[in-house]
Amino acid sequence: MSELAVPRTTQARNARAVARAAAERIGFPAGWWGMLMLIASEGTLMGSFVATYWYLRLRAPHWPPAGIPDPKVVVPMAMAGVLLTTSVPMQLASLAVRAGRLTATRLWLLLAFVVQSGYLAYELADYMDELHRTAMTRDAYSSIYFLLLGADHAHVFIGLLLELWLLLKLVRGLTMYRLNATVAIAWYWHFVNLLTVIVIGTLTSVNVV
Amino acid sequence: MTTIELPTRQRVDRLERMWQPEPGVLGWLTTTDHKRIGLLYFWTTLVLFGLGGAEALTMRTQLASPNNNVVGPSTYDQLFTMHGVTMIFFFIIPMTTGAFGNYLIPLMIGARDMAFPRMNALSFWVFLASGLFLYIGFAAGSGPDGAWFGYVPLTTRAFDPGRGEDFYALAIIFNGISSSLASANFIVTMFKMRAPGMSFNRMPTFCYAFLAASFGLLFALPALSADCIYLWLDRNHGTHFFDVAKGGSTLLWQHLFWFFGHPEVYILIVPAFGIATAIIPAFTQRKIVAYPLIAIAELLVVFIGFGVWAHHMFTVGLPTITVVFFAAATAMVVIPSAIQVFSWCMSLITGMPRFKTPLLFIAGFIFMFVNGGLTGLMFVAIPFDQQVHNTYFVIAHFHYIIFGAAVFPIFGGMYYWFPKVTGKLYLERPGQISFWLIFVGTNLLFFPMYIVGLLGMPREIYTYAPSTGWSAYNLAETIGGYLTAFGILALLGNLVVSYRRGEPAGPDPWNGPTLEWATSSPPPEYNFAVIPTVTSAYANWDVADRERDARNLADGAMVLDQGHETAVSSVADGRFSEIVEMPHSSPWPPILAFCLAMVFTGLVIGKIGLAAIFALLCLVSLGGWHWKEPQEA
Repeated sequence: MSELAVPRTTQARNARAVARAAAERIGFPAGWWGMLMLIASEGTLMGSFVATYWYLRLRAPHWPPAGIPDPKVVVPMAMAGVLLTTSVPMQLASLAVRAGRLTATRLWLLLAFVVQSGYLAYELADYMDELHRTAMTRDAYSSIYFLLLGADHAHVFIGLLLELWLLLKLVRGLTMYRLNATVAIAWYWHFVNLLTVIVIGTLTSVNVV
Repeated sequence: MTTIELPTRQRVDRLERMWQPEPGVLGWLTTTDHKRIGLLYFWTTLVLFGLGGAEALTMRTQLASPNNNVVGPSTYDQLFTMHGVTMIFFFIIPMTTGAFGNYLIPLMIGARDMAFPRMNALSFWVFLASGLFLYIGFAAGSGPDGAWFGYVPLTTRAFDPGRGEDFYALAIIFNGISSSLASANFIVTMFKMRAPGMSFNRMPTFCYAFLAASFGLLFALPALSADCIYLWLDRNHGTHFFDVAKGGSTLLWQHLFWFFGHPEVYILIVPAFGIATAIIPAFTQRKIVAYPLIAIAELLVVFIGFGVWAHHMFTVGLPTITVVFFAAATAMVVIPSAIQVFSWCMSLITGMPRFKTPLLFIAGFIFMFVNGGLTGLMFVAIPFDQQVHNTYFVIAHFHYIIFGAAVFPIFGGMYYWFPKVTGKLYLERPGQISFWLIFVGTNLLFFPMYIVGLLGMPREIYTYAPSTGWSAYNLAETIGGYLTAFGILALLGNLVVSYRRGEPAGPDPWNGPTLEWATSSPPPEYNFAVIPTVTSAYANWDVADRERDARNLADGAMVLDQGHETAVSSVADGRFSEIVEMPHSSPWPPILAFCLAMVFTGLVIGKIGLAAIFALLCLVSLGGWHWKEPQEA
């Protein structure tokens, strides 16, 4: 097999050439696999937190302990639902970039960014408000509650940073590096969105389960 | 295509120029070359091995006679904690994955570098910083003293004031970042960077072992990180994860710790299995027996390892059904382990073994592994486990496994790949002597521990009374310890002398089966002038393929010299997929590691502001890192 038949993907210099080179290669690039590794590692960390929540809860006589109100259900779940819908523009951005449509990519990313920022702003205000009423140091329940929720918000925040960085990069046109990044960051957001549903579902399940 | 007309020499010169590193110290600081990073790992872990060994010898000196007074109880506590933490997190993992894996895996799969070269450099610098972090704490009198498993409530603020356990919790998270980065990098490298034609069923078993260990690290470390986050928060910020009075649980620590801790054991020894399966074919000149079973067994050991953690907790009062389940799961580990032992033995019996030093270490390893494995199997008998729990019997068992099964192949591997790394041959006779010193020393060191364990000597005691009757055994152990240390010094001395005065080795002194022997010793920066094409798992024995590589160089095919280029393949079947530019040297990995170290320093001394500033600087350095893309450099 000669290298002449194989694309030199990082040498493509305009959006269409990048998209063509991406279509010619076989399978996902190393960068996408790298993102999958990050998701595996972060997913396990968050899984440990969720497992801790259930471990403590199943051993507690009262959950939440007496004196702490039950967590809100409707608004947090609705917010998680809103965040989940941003998987759609992220995936559309991922499809657009692979078709070499740079403007569409930027717009989908921007739309997702706006919604996700709104989500995080609301959630952080709510988080600070709850922290104000119940200290994290009150008992094991509040410790794991705020740690789990805070860690989830941190993942959203990191996703926003990645997206912002990507949007800045895309101002200067498309390269293979940025195409790979778009596809990978879309996957990161699918992971974060799913994670948020699991985390908020866990934390609000007190009344349900 | 003007390059095709150029003669071979000019083509190689062009590669040399493209891949030339920065000169001097700057070159080592900014390097992204997996071989240099492997060597940096090697030297750093060797120093840490020396420290961990010195701690062990100090403990053995203290225990040499009853009522001894070399060190006091509080120093002794710090010594065994530091010894455990050092040997596991700062010697074996970075030595196998960091040093051996880094240097050899890209060579074995015919790649020019790792999938993420800068991230590879980052994992080294983070590892170095975390080692310094832990040892600066120790030197400043804040060594952790709650054993390597740091059980709560002993390690909570109430029972263990001082900074020692804070250093422990943060150093382990810090070190975990390094290992997670490294393992992710290895997995993607083995998935995507294999030479064209190297489908999964042609990947060397050495690589399978490191793939298994990397998967283990990737999925086990987060549980430990979560645990250490809880410990740090409980100790410093008043949370109650482990506080039973406030609804927390002390067993939570143990579950999460051993969910990491048992896969960890396999993470330590599976790379050693890989080294064994690399050395045996070279010195028997035959293919390893049952290649597919070996590959599966290596992965299976780690996979089953995730379902056995509670066998460390048989005495804490778990429900009987749980205990029985975990005992059964533990017994299952025997199957993949035995498959490998039989394969090694059959390869030796049916081949023509030449017992040069590397193979001697592998033979010693098989003996030690079977010994430690059989006593490990005894723990499946739950009443027996409860009887010997927390005694020297357990210490003997896991030292047979960790020293005998994990470190022996590391020593064998040092001899085996020494000619590749340095281009010189080691001295054979002194090498054999070093093996026998280490072999006799370790058995004298560890076997009596079984006996004193059965006699009831508990672990982690700083002295004992003469009336116990343990004195003679302990003295023998101490003599064994010094003999082992002497053997290790003989090994290192051999390598130093050979490096200075050894005979030139040539590219392939052993007729090795895998691709690292297909290139010069030491390999050039770009590893292979021609990206090799692979048609079997023993690529260097496929003479026709290697002749085709030579023809390709003459024809200018598969040279990939239009930049800092390497080949990328499809995951399962190794089809040639794309040619990509690889990143050059970068100053950002050490800068980012420094900023991270300052974050952890801020956290451990309670200066959250300092930590926050450097966390911001971490983001800035990540921005700098990604500012220039590989093809723009």
